[in-house]
Amino acid sequence: MDNTILKVKDLKVHFFTRHGVVKAVDGDSFDMRRGESLCLVGESGCGKTTVALSVLRLLDSPPGKIMGGEILYGGDDLLKCPDDRLRQIRGNKIAMIFQDPQSSLNPVFTVGDQIAEQLKLHLKLGHREAMEKSLRLMEQVGIPRAAERINDYPHQFSGGMRQRVMIAAALSCNPEILIADEPTTALDTTVKAQIMDIFRDLKREKNMSILFITHDMGTVAGFADRIVVMYGGRIVETGSALDIFDHPTHPYTRGLLNCLPSVSAIRDRLTPIPGAIPSLINPPKGCVFDPRCECRLPLCATVRPEEVVASGDHTVACHQCAPSVVGEGHKPS
Amino acid sequence: MKKGGLQGYVIRRLLYAILIAWGVATCTFILLRVGPISPADKYLANMSARTADPSQVVAAVEARYGLDKPLYVQYFDWLSNLARGDWGWSFSTSMPVMELIQKHWIYSFQLILLSMLFSAILGILIGIYSAVKPYTKTDYLATFFSFIGISVPNFWLGIMLILVFSVQLGWFKTYYDTGLTLFSLANLKALVLPVITLGTGAMAGYTRYVRSAMLENLRKEFVRTARAKGLPERVVIGKHVFRNAILPIITIIMFDLSGVVFGGAYLTEIIFGIPGLGRISFNAVFASDYPVVITITLIGALIVLLTNLATDIVYTRLDPRIRYD
Ligand SMILES: Nc1ncnc2c1ncn2[C@@H]1O[C@H](COP(=O)(O)OP(=O)(O)OP(=O)(O)O)[C@@H](O)[C@H]1O
Ligand SMILES: [Mg+2]
Repeated sequence: MDNTILKVKDLKVHFFTRHGVVKAVDGDSFDMRRGESLCLVGESGCGKTTVALSVLRLLDSPPGKIMGGEILYGGDDLLKCPDDRLRQIRGNKIAMIFQDPQSSLNPVFTVGDQIAEQLKLHLKLGHREAMEKSLRLMEQVGIPRAAERINDYPHQFSGGMRQRVMIAAALSCNPEILIADEPTTALDTTVKAQIMDIFRDLKREKNMSILFITHDMGTVAGFADRIVVMYGGRIVETGSALDIFDHPTHPYTRGLLNCLPSVSAIRDRLTPIPGAIPSLINPPKGCVFDPRCECRLPLCATVRPEEVVASGDHTVACHQCAPSVVGEGHKPS
Repeated sequence: MKKGGLQGYVIRRLLYAILIAWGVATCTFILLRVGPISPADKYLANMSARTADPSQVVAAVEARYGLDKPLYVQYFDWLSNLARGDWGWSFSTSMPVMELIQKHWIYSFQLILLSMLFSAILGILIGIYSAVKPYTKTDYLATFFSFIGISVPNFWLGIMLILVFSVQLGWFKTYYDTGLTLFSLANLKALVLPVITLGTGAMAGYTRYVRSAMLENLRKEFVRTARAKGLPERVVIGKHVFRNAILPIITIIMFDLSGVVFGGAYLTEIIFGIPGLGRISFNAVFASDYPVVITITLIGALIVLLTNLATDIVYTRLDPRIRYD
């Protein structure tokens, strides 16, 4: 049964900076299935946004450059297809929501205009129809008094309402895939919960395929179907939400889960090792997590772990789980 | 924005404008009239060649134009005439000031308008191009020439243009031909050098401003949103980035209209012999023809005030974040 809708294969993205080449995404592969909510989880700076932007080729270039890999959608490799083909997909088939709704909306256009823009572009609606549809979209995402507010400007909205506008715009062409890059991170707790409700509705009622990015395991509990855990530019563990929450296998995933629900605790727990956060300019030769790992093997410093199947769908990139090492058990070194 | 808010603001600003215009008029009146030379003396110099008794002429002239009355009476007479649209009599050209200005304003107007268009359009286009392709050869070339353009004084540029294109190459006349029909190609051609003279400095400045404003806005996140929507680059740059970048530029261009261009137009008119208001007031100053000087100064002041007001209004229309209360 192949209901894969988006396939990322061996994606490599580098940033060429003054200080050196940042290997922000270093050979990552994952699949996204139709109708599922796939969550990409990892600490700040591990390359989540870079993965998301690569899908629609939205990286700033320079300094960003896609060094290799494929992103397959429909019949196209999104990394290589012509620009005009990509533009037909952007916003129409694959839509994206960003972290900061304040700066992601253009301050000089009304929210109605900004929602309607894609409707005019992709669905070729006239101005009036596009505005009517925009109004319905605003109502759908729960913007109160939408009819009065459609001609307001972004600065007249609160953070949560702006994010709703962003969501309305992203949903306007009824995309097959919605990519949401930390859509709740810039919002306060109660608003965060309301926005998560919108995503739950989308999943339940529209059965939309959602790539949801977050650094907070707590946010995705109960929402994610499958989870991809990233660390230092690499995918360390992939599995169903059940696999990840009930049988976390990679030491990093276990670290993330031990620290729930408080995010700051992740840092408190994981950062005390001085100089331990891997620089993506000069990543460790072996496993990226090796310097901070509590159960490292001698092998970890030199050999990059391959992805191995832990069970069914559940894969882990850790020497502890590799067949040759499993016998040695999980003893800390 | 509430409509009333803007209306009230405009009315307040117009009242200020009238107040300032009155101040400017009064200052000019005082500067010109509280001097040792009576306008009648100058007039006299012209007439004395023809008449036997100069003192008779002085008395006749002073009586005719009310110059024998006390200064404050002259001031109030003049002010009330001004308010009634009677701008006085030009001694040096022997015609009403109103008529003089009606005859000559168009020369200044066409020069300023064309220069503004020249500098704004070219400056914006080159600026956008530089920003979209930064750090390329074209960008460096544009940067190089805009720095030259900014630093060259426009009277010098005007003289050089005349030397090269009129004297050496003979492509243009050295002097503006007043006989040309105003809205003709020949007239447009005659204005090429003056427009370049007047517009180059501003154009070079706009290129720099537009480039940096475009670059600044190209980095903003809403640009990424616009691209994520699937908009073509033309719309991303021309609509989303440009609309944000142009806001400060509009202010700069409109302030330029009142400042730099009026100053520059004066010199340009003199260099090229264009009979515009700048040249007329230049002549009038030397002839102590104070009604002309005052009226032109007043017109200048009013235009400055009104463009500033227009700038503010345009800015509110374009930038929804600005409020006046
Ligand atoms: N424009 C850029 N120039 C240089 N380096 C960059 C750029 N964007 C990202 N990086 C680097 O790439 C790495 C991954 O960044 P990315 O933004 O993808 O992380 P992230 O997981 O989304 O983090 P966050 O949770 O903070 O959003 C980081 O080390 C970052 O410093
Ligand atoms: Mg990010």
